[in-house]
Amino acid sequence: MTFRKIKIKENSNVSYSSPELLFLGESGQPYRGTLYVSFRSQEETFDLRDFKKYLTSLRQRTFNAEDIAYEIFSTIAKNISVKKLGVIVDLSARGGIQQRVGFGTEFAPIKKANIFQLG
Amino acid sequence: MKKTKNPNFSALGSSSTQYKYEYAPELLETFENKHQEEDYWVALNADEFTSLCPITNQPDFATLIINYIPSVKMVESKSLKLYLFSFINNGEFHEEVVNKIGKDLAKLMSPKYLEVIGLFYPRGNVSIHPTFSCDNGEKKYKKIAKHRFANRNLNPQRIG
Repeated sequence: MTFRKIKIKENSNVSYSSPELLFLGESGQPYRGTLYVSFRSQEETFDLRDFKKYLTSLRQRTFNAEDIAYEIFSTIAKNISVKKLGVIVDLSARGGIQQRVGFGTEFAPIKKANIFQLG
Repeated sequence: MKKTKNPNFSALGSSSTQYKYEYAPELLETFENKHQEEDYWVALNADEFTSLCPITNQPDFATLIINYIPSVKMVESKSLKLYLFSFINNGEFHEEVVNKIGKDLAKLMSPKYLEVIGLFYPRGNVSIHPTFSCDNGEKKYKKIAKHRFANRNLNPQRIG
């Protein structure tokens, strides 16, 4: 999948997150997760609408849960030139086991509070 | 401890679970309430619910909260999980989804009282939280339904 490139200042520290990641596990069971992406720019990033469409397309695709961070990492790396790219996916617990998978540069994701709950 | 397969359940205890990706109310199964003389709450919280917008086909996500006072039948939770997953490719507005789930569960269990609350993620800065509720017509449960309907947002239930 091709993302349109957006020109930005070099060395900007960019982080994206989405609590709406969904894909199919090998058993066919849908897996939910929160995605965190972090990188330092080399004068470009990707169009967020294209990125959203890509993430939406994953809900029809099957992966080993451990491979989902690599899938997203490699797609970003194919589309734009960045430094220190890292991808982390926090998956919803399955069978009481919580799973976090990451690929690339390690970083500490900043978790936001649930935005859809009433205060 | 040896695992035993209960013949009453096709999903629970099955070694090969089949996932359906189109609306499938036939997946829902029940078991008998062994404390029918008691009134007690059962809360089922599902925070991985997803369906599609019927117009744009874009995915929607929600936490679903199902609260009910059981009568004779109770919904088996694995069958509920599979049923909720079956909405994954279903295009329906948030309000329709919540009402549909509420009516399916009411038909399945005939509970004394039931409510389904959908906490959908915001779209275009607006989050929609529809609530379905129904009772079995008995005076006591009609009163509960009336009270909870009138006080819906005074003490919103929270997850996590």
